[in-house]
Amino acid sequence: MGKVDIETIPVSLLPDNKIGEFLKKNSLSLTIDECRKIVALIGRDPTLAELHVFNIEWSEHCSYKSSKETLKLLPTSGPTVILGPKEDAGIMKFAKIDGAQYGIVVSHESHNHPSQVVPYEGAATGVGGNIRDVLCMGAHVISSGDALRFGNPEGKNRNKVKYTANAVIDGVAGYGNPLGVPIICGDTFFSESFDENCLVNVVAFGIVREDQVIHSCVPEGGEGYDIIIVGKATDNSGFGGAAMASVILDESDEEYNKGAVQVPDPFLKNVIVRATEKVFEESRKQKITLGFKDMGAGGIMCSTSELCSSGGFGGIVDLSKVHVSMKGLPPYVIACGETQERFTWISPPSFTPTILRIYNEDFQLPKVSEGARASAIGKVTKEKDFILTFGGKTVCNVPVDVVTEGIRYKREKRAPKREFTEPDIPEPRDFGKAALEVLRQPNIASKAPIFRHYDTEVQGLTVIRPGEADAGVQAPIPGKFAGMAAALDHNPRYSHINPYLGAANAVAESMRNVAAVGAVPYAMTDCLNMGNPEVPESFNDFVETVKGLSDAARALWLKGHKETPVPFISGNVSFYNESASGKQIDPSPIVCCIGFLEDYRKAITMELKNTENIIFIAGKRKDELGGSAYYALRSEYGANVPKVDFAEQRNMIYAVIDCIGSGLLESCHDISDGGMLAAIAEMILAKQGDEKVGAEIDIGDLGYENKSGNTGLRADKLLFSETPGFIFEVKRGNAVRVKEIFKGYTINVDKLGKTTDNGSLVIRQNDKPILDLAFRQMDEAWSNGLLEALR
Amino acid sequence: MTKQKKKIAVIWFPGTNCEDESKRACESAGMEAEIIRWNDTKNLEHFDGYVIPGGWSYEDRIRAGVIAAKDPLVIEVKRQAERGKIVLGICNGCQVLVEAGLIPGNSENTEKGIWETSRERNREIAKEGTGSEGVQNGKITMALAPNVNPIVSGYFCAWVYVKKISGKENAFSRGIPDIMPIPIAHGEGRFVTKDKKLIAELEKNGQVLFKYCGENGNVADRFPINPNGAVSNIAGIINPRGNVLAMMPHPERASWMHQVPGHIREGEAPGPGRKIFESMRDYLIK
Repeated sequence: MGKVDIETIPVSLLPDNKIGEFLKKNSLSLTIDECRKIVALIGRDPTLAELHVFNIEWSEHCSYKSSKETLKLLPTSGPTVILGPKEDAGIMKFAKIDGAQYGIVVSHESHNHPSQVVPYEGAATGVGGNIRDVLCMGAHVISSGDALRFGNPEGKNRNKVKYTANAVIDGVAGYGNPLGVPIICGDTFFSESFDENCLVNVVAFGIVREDQVIHSCVPEGGEGYDIIIVGKATDNSGFGGAAMASVILDESDEEYNKGAVQVPDPFLKNVIVRATEKVFEESRKQKITLGFKDMGAGGIMCSTSELCSSGGFGGIVDLSKVHVSMKGLPPYVIACGETQERFTWISPPSFTPTILRIYNEDFQLPKVSEGARASAIGKVTKEKDFILTFGGKTVCNVPVDVVTEGIRYKREKRAPKREFTEPDIPEPRDFGKAALEVLRQPNIASKAPIFRHYDTEVQGLTVIRPGEADAGVQAPIPGKFAGMAAALDHNPRYSHINPYLGAANAVAESMRNVAAVGAVPYAMTDCLNMGNPEVPESFNDFVETVKGLSDAARALWLKGHKETPVPFISGNVSFYNESASGKQIDPSPIVCCIGFLEDYRKAITMELKNTENIIFIAGKRKDELGGSAYYALRSEYGANVPKVDFAEQRNMIYAVIDCIGSGLLESCHDISDGGMLAAIAEMILAKQGDEKVGAEIDIGDLGYENKSGNTGLRADKLLFSETPGFIFEVKRGNAVRVKEIFKGYTINVDKLGKTTDNGSLVIRQNDKPILDLAFRQMDEAWSNGLLEALR
Repeated sequence: MTKQKKKIAVIWFPGTNCEDESKRACESAGMEAEIIRWNDTKNLEHFDGYVIPGGWSYEDRIRAGVIAAKDPLVIEVKRQAERGKIVLGICNGCQVLVEAGLIPGNSENTEKGIWETSRERNREIAKEGTGSEGVQNGKITMALAPNVNPIVSGYFCAWVYVKKISGKENAFSRGIPDIMPIPIAHGEGRFVTKDKKLIAELEKNGQVLFKYCGENGNVADRFPINPNGAVSNIAGIINPRGNVLAMMPHPERASWMHQVPGHIREGEAPGPGRKIFESMRDYLIK
């Protein structure tokens, strides 16, 4: 086995308790068994540096040791996939333009623990990490989205919750805005489940030509290629970040954990991104194949070992050549620290001077940020060993595949007791008041107080921005009509009651959102924010969640491809989301659906466009208020989470896409949180400008009792049930064709009412007035709800 | 086309982030455009005009735009402006032009400089001899202060309307619509002056080119019509000669109709912001 030149830790000789003490003293999260396993694998006692290498590589964050088996359930391939979840980001097939196939690169990750400890920096580096993941595929980063989960802003932890929420939002803005990456979609939810463990999920999108994708591996024939790192000078920030992401947050460790959070530098990144795009340009001109990888979790060690291993090579890195900004850093900190804004290149020696010139001279990195630069630090070797040297001495020498192979755990699972019942709530006497309460609820209220902080316009590619529709839309290739749509979804209150249905609903809702602008759902990403996998009930929730995602993705077929699932092309698992007292968060599989529009000019938004149009509804209202906003206002969960009738959802989604593609809908909005009342109100409220359009609807006309055999629903249940569906606006002359298209998919649509000219919402049931709200009243509640929660 | 296209340098400082779309907007108006790095200035004088795009030049350290304003490149741009070449500063570029004293550029107000650092800078410029009467020796008479609005503090991104106020001959407003929708995205976009009289003077001179307004053109000083609390709703100012414009809203983000809310169907057709670039082209061709 590989020789080292420094002393080893006598793991094989030490008793368990001594190993335990040693691990604790060195802040290693390895278990004693894992230490013994290392000795068996490398055939000798490990060095301290080697223990740190395994500490990170075997963390949940890097190895997916608890989740990998379960994740195999998810469909990840299909006709719309260029690259599945194998490398730093997945790639979805996009438009073919002038003979060249383009792809949308997507990365979706969480940064939950760092954001709970240091919210601004945690959120900012979360954005930064995803953007690096997309860039390193050779793509131009065009946008991002954020899914945020905070605690109850009125609950017992409200001060911390509000502080965290505001700082996270500032952090997201404080990174994407200066870098010049617009936010085009997002999703924010408040629930007491996240009081002590906020969630910050970021998704980033890029555009790349398929033949110009750069892979995260040493290219063929790469023996002797240079290993080059570029970016910020390495320091001790973020040391142990990946390990921290894989443990429970303990308040008493807060100071230590703070040290494990990385420090964001969007300014330096702004320059590195532009310099990197020059390297892309130059390498394409010279037809040089390179390897390129983001340096995230596990720093230099992870990125270099994975680049070498996945290409079938080994590598030798001289840690003394790494540009550092602190003196006296031990080799394992240089190797494993997670200093931000760094990348690793694999380059043939002939091209190395070009890379160094572009970063160090053309873009003068050392002058832009103290100590930043590109440095050649090692070589790719034929022998498949991973060797780290420092000051002429070998400090780590292990088979590279042993490092990157990781470990697997088979976790125990046990179905938790979940007993939920429907509450007995009297029908409200004042429907107007009930409606305004729902609109004011922070989860329903306008998210403008968040997204107005974000640059939604930079790069000039935005077509539909946050607040205008259920999904954001961009035209990624200037001058071309091909469009990309994206939406992020999940309702943690559903998963609280039923993790399987919560997950299935997230898939269906994200697809509905993309369909509501007219785009065809082409691919999805999932970021699974879960509790402690070592708790059997919690692990069971994880498995149920993955099943829900998988079943929904397989049943909501890719449009035009019968029985073909919409694939997951990228994702991330974040375990150990629990409080110090052991309270698990609600299972939170946050799903991003990415859609394709052949011609973005056909895309529509959700605001009502004109008076005297017909308003239709698709999706029968059912007694499905479990986890609803309406129940939340009454401090109830209920039991009846919306069931996802897969065939109905699929048909509805297809019909909406066809109608929009034929130019038959004026506006469209999906029904989800807050039910049809929130949906129709939002269609009124989304209208900008002085001229407002209102709606007059009659829910009595729905006539479900007679036509579909449902037992009659109370008016409040009709209005606030979160059974999935769509509401859309149609010109009178188009109504027949719209109905026909839906009928072709076996879906009945019901006429709900018509648009009016004054911006008010009038609801009747069989001509009996139920509510009559002026635009101003609704706007006051809807515009201020979130503002008040954040204040 | 036999006529040679006019050439615009789109300046990139470390931290600038709107260079690509600004370049595209110039090109869409029939000009040539090239992104020029801050440290690659040897050919700067060969351009017919300059665009300083939005972003966070030098991380907006100290104050937005102030470090870039001291960059040798800006001193060169200033020299070229004195020779009559055109300069458009958008958002962060607007802040740079104000910090560099190119805007408003009225010599009468030179003694009202409000920032100590700027006084030092003026001395430097005086020593180097790069100042001139027309550009008021680099005195700083205005600033872009942090936004004031009731919804979010700090950075604010939204679509607003601006109205063309001035009839003064200049390089930027030939043929532009009287009222145009345009997005803003900034944290420090509130035009302020120490000397209240300066605004009256700028208005009298026709130097206030754009003001924030409602969709029907009413210039009311209240949110959301005035999105950042700018004095007198000012959104864009030209210098006395009319060859330099500093504006906080982003015309390059309103240069294609698909960018404009409510106009998706018009796709790649020219947007209202394009007119500013076309005006620059026409001015240069003349």
